[in-house]
Amino acid sequence: MTRASVVFVVDDDPSVRSSLKFLLSSVGLQVEGFESAETFLQRKPPDAPSCLVLDVRLRGLSGLDFQRELAARNIRIPIVFVTGHGDIPMSVRAMKAGAIEFLTKPYRDQDLLDAVRIALERDRARREQEKDLTDLRQRFESLTPREQEVISMAVLGMLNKQIADQLGTAENTVKVHRSRAMEKMNAQSFADLVRMIEKLKGSAEKAS
Amino acid sequence: MPHPEPAPAHNGPPQHIEQRWITAFENSAIGITMADFAGRFFAANSVFRNMLGYTESELYQLTFLDVTYEEDRKANQELVGELVEGKRQHFEIEKRYRCKDGTLVWVRNNVSLVPEMGGVAPFWFAVVEDITQRKEEESAHRYTEEKYRLVVETASDAVISLDETSTILLANPATTRVFGYTPEELIGKPLTMLMPEFLRKLHETGFKRYVATGQRHINWQGTELTGLRKNGKEFPVEVSFGELIQDGHRVFTGFIRDISERKQAQRAIQNAQAELARVSRLTTMGELAASIAHEVNQPLTAVNNNSNACLRLLANQNLQPDVLRRALEEIVSDGTRASAIIARIRAFIKKAPAEKNRLDVNEVIREVLVMMGHGFEENRIVVQSELAEALPLLLGDRVQLQQVLLNLTMNGVEAMTAIIDRPRLLWVQSRIDESGEVLIAVRDSGTGLGLEAERVFSPFFTTKANGMGMGLSISRSLIEAHGGRLWAAPNFPHGTVFSFTLPVDAESPP
Repeated sequence: MTRASVVFVVDDDPSVRSSLKFLLSSVGLQVEGFESAETFLQRKPPDAPSCLVLDVRLRGLSGLDFQRELAARNIRIPIVFVTGHGDIPMSVRAMKAGAIEFLTKPYRDQDLLDAVRIALERDRARREQEKDLTDLRQRFESLTPREQEVISMAVLGMLNKQIADQLGTAENTVKVHRSRAMEKMNAQSFADLVRMIEKLKGSAEKAS
Repeated sequence: MPHPEPAPAHNGPPQHIEQRWITAFENSAIGITMADFAGRFFAANSVFRNMLGYTESELYQLTFLDVTYEEDRKANQELVGELVEGKRQHFEIEKRYRCKDGTLVWVRNNVSLVPEMGGVAPFWFAVVEDITQRKEEESAHRYTEEKYRLVVETASDAVISLDETSTILLANPATTRVFGYTPEELIGKPLTMLMPEFLRKLHETGFKRYVATGQRHINWQGTELTGLRKNGKEFPVEVSFGELIQDGHRVFTGFIRDISERKQAQRAIQNAQAELARVSRLTTMGELAASIAHEVNQPLTAVNNNSNACLRLLANQNLQPDVLRRALEEIVSDGTRASAIIARIRAFIKKAPAEKNRLDVNEVIREVLVMMGHGFEENRIVVQSELAEALPLLLGDRVQLQQVLLNLTMNGVEAMTAIIDRPRLLWVQSRIDESGEVLIAVRDSGTGLGLEAERVFSPFFTTKANGMGMGLSISRSLIEAHGGRLWAAPNFPHGTVFSFTLPVDAESPP
């Protein structure tokens, strides 16, 4: 189901950049190199699991500023930092902002490869999760407004009779709306439906 | 009016002769006085009266001892006694009179006893010459001579006088302390015996030439030469010579100072300064460690990446020869790059003597700006460089010039860390100046130096809480060792500009 994953290497030192590309490609990874954060940002975000291997000290936009910039653009790509002179405050900042790993040069190649694998795995998981959510949202949006109203009230624990009273309709009508909605949402049980609605609410809150 | 005994007549009537004597006595240009046998004055001419400041009637109340200075009375009385005893016919004495107003006057008296004659009692006759002026001159002269003698005798420097053949005429006691010879051992000997062999010929020809032509072969004030002690040891001396004419002969007098201790102290100071310079370099090194770690880590990382990739491909039996070759070439090139950086650091730490090569100063500036990149970033410094294109090459030590530039830029950065109301601007410029030398200027918009602009170059002067105060002092000596100058001036409207010049390599094409 997934397209081939890709690693983006951003380092302004040409020999470091080229050696990193060589190392990552030696384990079968697809690699693209960039000499600055700016040139990377000009590229269209990829539609495949990916991660960044990023030098902290870059000409122009620094690695940490770049991390902030990506977050601001809502580009959620995992970052593995490498640095020639990492200090603790700097690594703490990077990790707090969601970096996968903060490696000090010269690092063990296995550490870098492990970090890249974790980063790609995390991106893959995130993408799958996002895909599930998109499906769910599409299913929810296929409901009629009345069906949406009915199940929103039902998941709050209201009885069919109470819902009918509030909407000024018959209890049986409510039952029909409810079973249609269950069917359209592809819910196996009422509990399943409750979980789906919670998930949608959670992502809506996160988005706002 | 006194009546002196008339002199025997030669011509004319006796009254005339007497009158003439009286007039001559009164108008004589020299003091004349007479006193009775008890010493009481009974006649004195105007010169004598004026000399002592007494009127005639006052004077005739006094004896000659009354007006003679207390200390001179005894000698005077002894001579008078000899005259009375008939041991001599007259005497001469230099003595002092005490005048009426209390002052003293030096006189030379010629005194004779006029014997009893024709019922006239014997009396004293004195001719008195005022010699105060001569006495004062003599005394002043003696004082000066005494003063000089004292200076020479007690001087801690050897003082040696020479004649026109460079033979020693005089040597003071200090000569013994300095050279080990007593004055007696030296007088009459040639000066060259106090010099090491290599200076003797030089002195002989130079001295002869000077005596003949007046042309000096060395400076005569404070020249540093080498002396030779009696025990055969050579030692550093500082020599000053002067010349004067004495009784028609030229006399040369020299002051010779043993400066062994001073030289030793100077050497100690120089050693201390060199050591401080080295320590200061190490401190600078510490501050730069972060930058250098990054510099070294880049090629090391690349080497590791390339080697590990090769090992992985090899394990999978998937390594193509051309891929391997490319990787190995990169490994070699990165290894070379790393060792060049390490060589630079080593030169930086070592007490390496200047290694002058032809270099482009703009390249050095760029290297330093890269090294300082982290510092600029951390302190939010805006760097502007304005480097003149096609500057002629210089003959210089790259590491030393880097050190100077690092020092100036770091100072600039530190001067701006407290600035919050304006941009922190560091401006680096290179150009050819009016005299054709390369000029490099580093400006900051910091707090400025105020009145300290020149003091910042003295050793141990610092405005920083944890500074050693050696950076600028060392920078200046490094630039001066390159034949250039380093100075500071206020920058407008804020901050300081440090500038230095470097001479262009004459053989370099423009």
